[in-house]
Amino acid sequence: MAAIAGQTALSLEEQSFADRTIAAHSGKPGALLGILESLQDHHPHKYLSSEILEYVAERTDIPLAQIFSVVTFYALFNLEPQGDHSICICRGTACHTRGSRNLLQRLRLELGLPEESEEGADKLCLTTPDRRYSLRTVACFGQCALAPVVEVDHEIYGHMNERTLHRELEHLESGRKKA
Amino acid sequence: MPEKISIRIDGEYVAAQEGQTILEVARASGKYIPTLCWLESITPVGACRLCIVEVSGVNRLLPACTTPVQDGMSVTTHSEKLAAYRRIALEFLFTERNHQCAVCVSNNHCELQAMAQRLGVNSVRYAYTFPKLPVDVSHERFVLDHNRCILCTRCVRVCAEVEGAHVWDLSSRGIRSMVICDMSKPWGESRNCTNCGKCVQVCPTGALAEKGFAVEEMVKRDAKVTRLASRRGGHQ
Repeated sequence: MAAIAGQTALSLEEQSFADRTIAAHSGKPGALLGILESLQDHHPHKYLSSEILEYVAERTDIPLAQIFSVVTFYALFNLEPQGDHSICICRGTACHTRGSRNLLQRLRLELGLPEESEEGADKLCLTTPDRRYSLRTVACFGQCALAPVVEVDHEIYGHMNERTLHRELEHLESGRKKA
Repeated sequence: MPEKISIRIDGEYVAAQEGQTILEVARASGKYIPTLCWLESITPVGACRLCIVEVSGVNRLLPACTTPVQDGMSVTTHSEKLAAYRRIALEFLFTERNHQCAVCVSNNHCELQAMAQRLGVNSVRYAYTFPKLPVDVSHERFVLDHNRCILCTRCVRVCAEVEGAHVWDLSSRGIRSMVICDMSKPWGESRNCTNCGKCVQVCPTGALAEKGFAVEEMVKRDAKVTRLASRRGGHQ
């Protein structure tokens, strides 16, 4: 126990939460997904640090390479700290034809995020340097009738345009000031 | 005792046992089915899609390495259609990475190259993607060149099943898939790697190679690894 604690930079609270989560899932097939999901949710910045992944590998005897493979396979896992607010723009066909690219560009400009990377953008996940906003894209929300669709802090907004999007952003800003 | 069944491969009746795959039965009866990712005594994954066969009554092509035989099955291993699909699968492998044979350590000892010659792929009809990929030379004895990798996952499976270290795995998915070491660390920094070199010996291309070899000099010896695996009972 002491050896493990010495190796990782995790706080005792994080370690005990990880231990409890692993114990709750032990013996079930496919436990890794559940473990990683609750650990990510537990973190204030909603991400999985390399320390926590190493800790899980050590505790569950699942090879580190396999854990990393799972984490990079599923878009829902984050390896980078996420912003306080998440804005998710649908880049599906219906939303694309209704101008979701413009919404994406507008948000990029407004949040000061870099242009598309060379790798192409079927899965985009950018966080502002001040960690206030995370901008993501998704292939389809399944709400094509409401196109273009934007998800702000896990709430779906349909028929968005640049003006309404800007208003939502101002709402978030003002909510932040009050708090 | 597994039940004895009988299947037809290219019209010939062949005796088989329940639980065997089409590929195993075909090889036991001397029939050749092209493969790249398959390795004797290692768990098959059906990644390369070269061993696809036609099974009468089934509308799609099935990978022979992962499809179990059924009594009365009738399998076609060679046809115009299969040859065309196998060539397409190979062409996509060539376009996906930078396979420059002339400067590869495995030139003339490469399974991908040999397979292309065998299946008559002498030109590629699709646009090359020319991805920018790194070469990992951090290991003391071995090199990992992502430009030559065909993602067959032989190294992943051999490391996990025979050596038991599970240093390798695939990250991401689709066109961004890459073979990675532990948490996408340089190979030389891996604490789990035992430096056994099994992954290098089973790699069908020049993606994994020993250091100190020039072009055309790297000859792989996968039989040593598969013999070891089969003595341990092979995959379950």
